[in-house]
Amino acid sequence: MNVVETHRLGKSYGRTWALRDCTLAIPAGHVTALVGPNGAGKTTLLNLVVGLAVPTEGEVAVLGGRAAGSPAALDGIAFVAQDTPLYRSLTADDLLHMTRNLNRHFDRSYARGRLTELGIPLRRRAAKLSGGQQAQLALTLALARHPRLLVLDEPMAMLDPLARHDFIAMVMTAVADDGVSVVFSSHVLTELERVADHLILLSGGRVQVAGEVDDLLASHRVLTGPTAEIDRYVDRLDIVHARRGAAQANLLVRTSATTDAAPPGWRAHPVGLEELALAYLREPGAAALPGPTRGDNIEPLGVTP
Amino acid sequence: MQIEKENSGTTGDGQAAAVSPIDFRLDPSSGVPTYLQLVQQVEHALRLGYLMPGDQLPKIRDVVASLAINPNTVFKAYRELETKGLAAGRPGQGTFVRATLSQVALPELTKLRRTLLGWLTTADKAGLDEDGVIALFNSVMRDFRESRATSGRGRGSGSDREGVA
Amino acid sequence: MAWITWRQHRLTLAGVGVLLGAAAAYVLVSGVRMHHAYAAALACHPASSDVCHQVVNDFFNKYASDAAVAAGLLHVTPAVIGAFAAAPVLAREFETGTFRYAFTQGFGRVRWTIAKLAPLAVLVTAASAAFSVLFSWSYEPIIGTRGYGPGPLEPSVFDLRGVTFAAWTLAAFAIGAAAGVFIRRVIPAMFATLAVTAGLTLGTGLYLRRHYEPALVSTDPSIAPPDWVLSQSWTKDGKPASLFMIDGALHPVGVQALTLERFQPGPGTPDNFDPVQYLSHHGFTQVTTYQPASRFWTFQWIEGGWLLAVALILVAVTVWRVRRRAT
Repeated sequence: MNVVETHRLGKSYGRTWALRDCTLAIPAGHVTALVGPNGAGKTTLLNLVVGLAVPTEGEVAVLGGRAAGSPAALDGIAFVAQDTPLYRSLTADDLLHMTRNLNRHFDRSYARGRLTELGIPLRRRAAKLSGGQQAQLALTLALARHPRLLVLDEPMAMLDPLARHDFIAMVMTAVADDGVSVVFSSHVLTELERVADHLILLSGGRVQVAGEVDDLLASHRVLTGPTAEIDRYVDRLDIVHARRGAAQANLLVRTSATTDAAPPGWRAHPVGLEELALAYLREPGAAALPGPTRGDNIEPLGVTP
Repeated sequence: MQIEKENSGTTGDGQAAAVSPIDFRLDPSSGVPTYLQLVQQVEHALRLGYLMPGDQLPKIRDVVASLAINPNTVFKAYRELETKGLAAGRPGQGTFVRATLSQVALPELTKLRRTLLGWLTTADKAGLDEDGVIALFNSVMRDFRESRATSGRGRGSGSDREGVA
Repeated sequence: MAWITWRQHRLTLAGVGVLLGAAAAYVLVSGVRMHHAYAAALACHPASSDVCHQVVNDFFNKYASDAAVAAGLLHVTPAVIGAFAAAPVLAREFETGTFRYAFTQGFGRVRWTIAKLAPLAVLVTAASAAFSVLFSWSYEPIIGTRGYGPGPLEPSVFDLRGVTFAAWTLAAFAIGAAAGVFIRRVIPAMFATLAVTAGLTLGTGLYLRRHYEPALVSTDPSIAPPDWVLSQSWTKDGKPASLFMIDGALHPVGVQALTLERFQPGPGTPDNFDPVQYLSHHGFTQVTTYQPASRFWTFQWIEGGWLLAVALILVAVTVWRVRRRAT
């Protein structure tokens, strides 16, 4: 099942297109990182997925064909927005009460347990909690619904390193326990590799890279060799990004699974996720997109409302 | 992917069940993939005697909670260890150490060094440069691994990296 | 959800409650005093004597103006309730971004909106209904007494009694909710609610209400409160008399006709001079356009009816807007 599936999805505000021609399939059981510079369209895409925004063109379906924003979709998706908005005058207890009243499924004992573990007082107003505690409270409320899909929009932007670590640990534990799929947006690349197993790179409102992290890393190499020889191999190699020194150059190339032989005189290295993401972000024209993941790319999604 | 809940039936949260002898750490700046770091740490622990056959490897959930990494990564590391024959999973209980790393005795080691030096000299005379030697080694290593896998004999063989630099 | 709504807006709701409570206390105390004083005035014997007339006059002079001030202040209550209880509910969600939480919960945004607004709407409507009953009882001695205090149809008291006070409160609440969801900022929404509700109240009192049923026209000179006098004009020999003619006719006694209804005595005017009687004796006929007091309940239901319709339409529009877009 695909937790998120889009077909030529686009969203415009007035004359500006925040997202355009976005076709994706995010399979279930993964932790997917949505990466891109500010203004790339990450928040727009997430808003479309959770039903806060309506597409201008194209379609988006969630949790195996349900329409985004429909009751069936809302039931199975939990969303923590940027800056984790909470009702500042309410206590954690009030918020538990409220979330339970607003959802079909809510695991109150799980929520209470996690808040106690985290040392978040139940009777203190949310405004008086620290930034890290607020983020974890918002996350607890989301996870206590035992969603099939957890969507996070840069929830860690305001957190210090320790709070970030605890936040990620809580999400990953839920993945281990519940098998929940996660889609989170971030413009911090350094943590990606140990957290994400699926990557989507957005740039200028368009999808540049989409795929499993393992596949992406296996299908790219950095070739190091003499700058002078680059032109000789330009046609043979699928060069994504070249960094040239006067004598020596590093080329990020895309290889097919079978060939990893570097040209003679060149050395091949594996590439890390951060380096790969940066290279693509520097080359807006390059793209690494998977082939069709559904049988027929032309038919509409057949969304169930 | 549904991760098998380890020890879910027998111990509850917060109960001090058998704690694994080792504790994982991550070096984010090493450039080594996360799952590989975990594999290497297990092998290192085996060599140094911190882990003995029958010991339980840390539960996936605990690793995830302490390192804040993707459970799939831990899963991959443990699967790699299983492929190497170093560990085995018991359904509902966890992953346990199965074998030690074979320690090659010192005289054996010296003999292997001498043979290798001889081979390198031969290769050099045949015109193979260093990169060629490494490429050849990787290729033959792959064949060897494959043949061993099909013959069903797993043995810890140390770290395996593609494109040894 | 009602509990949570209370917890969330407790400051505002408490404020509104205190305001209404204070107003109710004032009205109650005034009412008790007024009833006592009125009973005392009525106990005066003989009722037709000048002394007793004076007692009754004094009563009305003392309490009527108080009542008018109180009624004037009470008129702002529905607008205040709409602005403080309804407008912030939705506007704050958008202003603080918490709609990103509220609209992504399992039960969805429409159910959430209704769950938030409905208990508040019921509460304020019930409270204001109770309040208007209290007001009617308190000012009973004054309202509709022949010749004295305001008639029941007059704008100063009509929409504080019967069903209309509750209906105005409900309509103001709906205006507030709509303002909140369209304007999406708390303070501007509150101001808009106050402005729209006040404008609507004024417009209804000054222009709309008198047309609920065709006004009656009569030459009977005794038309007075409790009937609602809308306007008065004069005819002579079957033809409308102009202000010029009236003024001319009154010239000999030094009275100036400011309008067809208001006359200004001058230095040469005798004491206790009644311009209306004088004109009647000089061939003029007074023509009164009025709404009879007996139409009180008819007008109440008409006004309550269209206010309810407005409230329902605004609620539907609010829900539609909530459904349609968020970002």
